[in-house]
Amino acid sequence: MQVKIVIGTVAFMLTMMILGFAVLREPARLSQYTDAAKGRSIEAGAHIFENNCATCHGVDGDATECYNSAGEQVGCQGLPLNNYDLLCGDPTYRMGTLNWAGTKEDFVKTTISAGRFGTVMPVWSEEFGGPMRPDQVQNVTDFVLNWESEDLCANEPVRYAWPEAAADYLASADGSAGDATNGAELYVTYGCSGCHGDTALEGSNAVGPWLGDIADVGNTRVDGLDAAGYVYQSILDPNAFIVPDCPTGPCASPSAMPGTFAARIGSNPTDMADLLAFLLGN
Amino acid sequence: MATIFEQIQEMGIKQTVITKLDETVERLTVGMNINDIRSALRGDEPRRPNPRLRPHADSFWFHIRPSFYHTEVTHIYPTFRLGWLSTFMFVWETITGIILMVFYTPSPLVAYSNMWNILGNVPLGQLMRNMHRLGAEVMVLVVALHMLRTYITGSYKKPRQFTWATGVILLLFTALLSFSGYLLPWDQLSYWALTVFLSGAEAAPTPPGIDPDVFNGNVLLIAQGGPALGAGGLLRWYLLHVLLLPLLTGIFFFVHYYKVVLYGISLPPGREEIGEDTAKRVPRNERTYFTPDIATNELMWSALTTLFLVAGSLWLWDAPLETHADPVVTPLHVVAPWYLSWSQGWLKLADKTLVIGFIPLLLVAFIVMPYFEVGKSRRYADRRIALTVAALFFTFMLVSNWMGSPEFRVNSSPDREVSIELLPEEGTSAMLGVPYDLMPEGTYLPGQPISGNPHLTYALEEFQAAMYRHSCTLTGNSTWYECVFDESTPIETRKYSNHFSDDVMPDPTAQLVVEEIQPGLKKLTLKYKAVSPANPEEFLIDAEWVKYRHADSNYETECRFANKSC
Ligand code: HEC
Ligand code: HEC
Ligand code: HEM
Repeated sequence: MQVKIVIGTVAFMLTMMILGFAVLREPARLSQYTDAAKGRSIEAGAHIFENNCATCHGVDGDATECYNSAGEQVGCQGLPLNNYDLLCGDPTYRMGTLNWAGTKEDFVKTTISAGRFGTVMPVWSEEFGGPMRPDQVQNVTDFVLNWESEDLCANEPVRYAWPEAAADYLASADGSAGDATNGAELYVTYGCSGCHGDTALEGSNAVGPWLGDIADVGNTRVDGLDAAGYVYQSILDPNAFIVPDCPTGPCASPSAMPGTFAARIGSNPTDMADLLAFLLGN
Repeated sequence: MATIFEQIQEMGIKQTVITKLDETVERLTVGMNINDIRSALRGDEPRRPNPRLRPHADSFWFHIRPSFYHTEVTHIYPTFRLGWLSTFMFVWETITGIILMVFYTPSPLVAYSNMWNILGNVPLGQLMRNMHRLGAEVMVLVVALHMLRTYITGSYKKPRQFTWATGVILLLFTALLSFSGYLLPWDQLSYWALTVFLSGAEAAPTPPGIDPDVFNGNVLLIAQGGPALGAGGLLRWYLLHVLLLPLLTGIFFFVHYYKVVLYGISLPPGREEIGEDTAKRVPRNERTYFTPDIATNELMWSALTTLFLVAGSLWLWDAPLETHADPVVTPLHVVAPWYLSWSQGWLKLADKTLVIGFIPLLLVAFIVMPYFEVGKSRRYADRRIALTVAALFFTFMLVSNWMGSPEFRVNSSPDREVSIELLPEEGTSAMLGVPYDLMPEGTYLPGQPISGNPHLTYALEEFQAAMYRHSCTLTGNSTWYECVFDESTPIETRKYSNHFSDDVMPDPTAQLVVEEIQPGLKKLTLKYKAVSPANPEEFLIDAEWVKYRHADSNYETECRFANKSC
């Protein structure tokens, strides 16, 4: 019996020592698992993004390279998410433009959950009739926020103030020398051709109207705007006027054309003049 | 009776305190004062009247324990302490379970994040979870072994038939407790294991005269709490797990144990005359008293078992936690808990309805077995048939379990088989376990040695080994096995097999591509190509498998536990 008491006591003391050891390493372990939970959420979010969001926001999240479900390259309809305006600073630039008072995470999460009314950004959360569970919304939110990095946030982008009227722009230093050859290239690299097709080939357009005759048609769309003014406005604010006919029926409102070109072309403002020269010179 | 003040006046403060303490201890133990306890622990003879027997008569906790045992049953043989261990595990599960309950809400919205909260935010939460989960597995094992031993020693025979019957019920409850707990983390593992098992309800045999669709459909509906497992189902299984099943198990345990005490633990079969039951007639010189011998023995085993469970939970064994339950994504291989693998094995042998009808029958057969198996002798030599049947049944269960285990599963396409071995959808692996920084961006080939990087080299070796098992050659390439195929099937639809599997890739090429797509997030892509033997312009296999890997995801830590395959 004495032996048993000794064995029992030793086992008990060992257990206590092990527990003591466990307690000592606990703070480090806890933070390790908190990070792991976040890491795994980001991984799950990456899968969700790849399957649901990349068609509009681009495979790298910068809205430059988008594919439809058949694997063909299409124009990106979404805003860039791997992007200074969405992720850098607090409040971020985007939060400011939309008067968002909550946190950055809530901004992204709410946008994903509820979609954005008046744009093609869909509703995603089950709560609002979308397809995703709350945990999936959280996963993809974590993934989007994970694009924030020192590199991305090192330089604030130059924001170009587009003049109200096309004429003012065309008269400025940036707008005066349009190069149609370069415009033809930009028409492809900005992804216009993905939706509007080849300007030399009527009927090659998949999503938006064919632009081969926009130099004429543009004069008739909106009262008081000539073709240059109309194309200028169509690029900067697609929702200002919705074209009646698209290849697959009446054009949808809100416009399927992304509202991001104002910002994207703004980092290289002479591109606008080149595009105009290309489209109108045709 | 003197007041406390008069006592202090008479004896002084110190003596009064000692006397009062002694009195308190005597009341708490219902009969033993401090000196009695010390003498019991020293192993002295008790004074008369024996104060060590009083608690068994007068106290609540001791009255359910016998005051002495037959010395013959206090050794490791014949009980192997398995009944006691089952009881210990039940208490252990109750305590750790109550602690976990504090941090758990049974709702699909939060259950899974509760688990991560327990792991990452509750001090010692992971230890508690591991102990509860390890305890559950140990308990199933111990209870099953306890059953095996009572069978082998013939302890189910008259008058202990009813003890055995309640025992079978306890086995059922133990399995159900374990299984109902399985669902609670609400991850893919738990969700699909339960979904697959509950779908059995659909195939269950229907009582005659009732429309099977109505009957089985409703049984399934009740078990799932809806058309699919969801909030209702989780709440249901949670309540079963924390309320109904423990309560029933507790009740049946007391009936079980009452019978054990009533008839005494059966002596080793060779120790009594055939047909006699002398467990309750214990000569004075063969008595081992509860206090102090049995009590110290049990305390020692409690300490040892606790030590094992704590150390095991800390270093050897880690409770799994997969990704969030997803009703629309069925994992490639749904794995049953090991103690139910046999049923999956049976499904490969017989029709589903048959199997599901057979299980309750088997249970009933177990319960009534002692009332039919009435051979008088408990001696091993007289029970050759009974012991052979037991051995056969045991072997059958082991084989069924092996057949139902993941090694014996239905295969999907060969490239997926390789993929889920290397970059499984869930859990960790040799390739996921490569530390983040040791997996630089680039393209790697199976078996490619990476100098100065043993982790990645090892992962790529595993890649090669997996490719080897799922490939064959038509062109005499010495890397692979020669392809085996059926000449009579047209070349377009031919399946190729090798030594390991009957669906493999002919002369494939494969690579691993690592890209960093975000700070701290890498995309690992496995790519496979195999040219179609029918048409060299086309690919028979042109597949990709993507897995993301975050720097903090901790797969390498998981690899340290013995129960994780890396
Ligand atoms: C059908 C195309 C489409 C899909 C698919 C889509 N989005 Fe969007 N998304 C948009 C558009 C268009 C906007 C810009 C709305 C606006 O102009 O305010 C947007 C905006 C956003 C914004 C806010 C950006 C900002 O700067 O305000 C976030 C965040 C976002 N999307 C995330 C996602 C996620 C995550 C997914 C996948 C689950 C997704 N989106 C899928 C089209 C899409
Ligand atoms: C995601 C598809 C998409 C992309 C990319 C896209 N557009 Fe559009 N675009 C449309 C759709 C749809 C319409 C018609 C709806 C509307 O009026 O907004 C349209 C309308 C227009 C119009 C008015 C056409 C008319 O017939 O009145 C012009 C001009 C135009 N887009 C120019 C461009 C240019 C330039 C680019 C590239 C910088 C571009 N679009 C990129 C989809 C797209
Ligand atoms: C939760 C599960 C169970 C608990 C807690 C439990 C507990 C106990 C305990 C404490 C004993 C005392 C003797 C010993 O340690 O062997 C005992 C005896 C016994 N148990 Fe169990 N038991 C359980 C399950 C079972 C099962 C599954 C069976 C068989 C189907 C069974 C059959 C018996 C029998 C026949 C005895 C009498 C043994 C004898 O007298 O030698 N019990 N049980």
